[in-house]
Amino acid sequence: MKKFVVILLLAVMGYYISITFFDIGFGDSHLVEGVVPVKDAYLNETVNSLNVANTVTSIVVNFRGFDTLGEVTVLFLAVTALGGILYKKRHQAGERSVLFSASKVVTSGSKLLFPAIVLLGAYVFIHGHLSPGGGFQGGVIIATGFLLMLLAYENFTVGHNTLSVIESLAGITFAGVGIWGLIYGGSFLENFLPVGTLNDLFSGGVIPIIYIAVGFKVAAELTGVIYTVLHEKG
Amino acid sequence: MSIMEIIGGTFIIIGSIFLFLGALGIFRMPDIYNRLQAGTKATTLGGMSLILGVGFLEPSWMMKMIIIIIFIAYSNPISSHALARAMYKRKRYPLILSEDKENMDAYSEVNPHEKEEVKS
Repeated sequence: MKKFVVILLLAVMGYYISITFFDIGFGDSHLVEGVVPVKDAYLNETVNSLNVANTVTSIVVNFRGFDTLGEVTVLFLAVTALGGILYKKRHQAGERSVLFSASKVVTSGSKLLFPAIVLLGAYVFIHGHLSPGGGFQGGVIIATGFLLMLLAYENFTVGHNTLSVIESLAGITFAGVGIWGLIYGGSFLENFLPVGTLNDLFSGGVIPIIYIAVGFKVAAELTGVIYTVLHEKG
Repeated sequence: MSIMEIIGGTFIIIGSIFLFLGALGIFRMPDIYNRLQAGTKATTLGGMSLILGVGFLEPSWMMKMIIIIIFIAYSNPISSHALARAMYKRKRYPLILSEDKENMDAYSEVNPHEKEEVKS
């Protein structure tokens, strides 16, 4: 009976949702040209004046750059909180506990795979303004490379001070680019570099610089998280 | 329909069949080692031929596809080896060694050698 009621409710909801969407043709824009000026402004501005091939990146990093700065700060706060929670435990435990060490196949394989993963991550965040991907995604890929090394080698260490320095420098770069834009362009995160030509690696003004900084920051933070969690005594 | 499209489509169909068999094997096989075999060997071959088929359909992507195939051929066996080894080290032995033939749809969590020691 309960399942029947749930299915009936879902059917009614599905019916009303589908008749709402029947008016909009598949693949059509339901925003009529000129009615929503923000959409047209974004699309035209991206290609005409910023020369960024990836519209999403131009919105995330340039038009809504302040929001991205907030997201990076949220990530930083989450990582700091995790480190604070696990700090006491890690201090008592010292070394990480390993049930058995990884085999020769895994260690030699991950040694060969690690540079390729880091290269892919760097590619993803350097080409963030040209192709899908960006700083967050590239940083996560690099962090998975470090996770592989930490799983394969039980005495693989990541310098905590190095991570902190990279993270801080990346954050300072992001905020510094924003303030530089405030000085030279008139508003925070305003573009002040030449935009170049469309689909070039060196195009889009400050967007590649910000995304590279975000990539380094995310990679350092997530590597720190993985390292902290692995060294916690379960 | 050119010859390249026919070759590419054939490879994609072969890859899809192998991926389906891999998914079926994960449901059907009795213990962790058999499931690992179905889940990694079939998906290695299936994924590789699927990607090769895409390379035949779009010849300009062929180089990228070959690089992806090399990475699949490189990383998939390593991960399946690590999984199987971890299971063996944690004393999940193959079902064929255990005495519990009735319960064929569960992981064998009993060490058969330990059982014999207890009996003797």
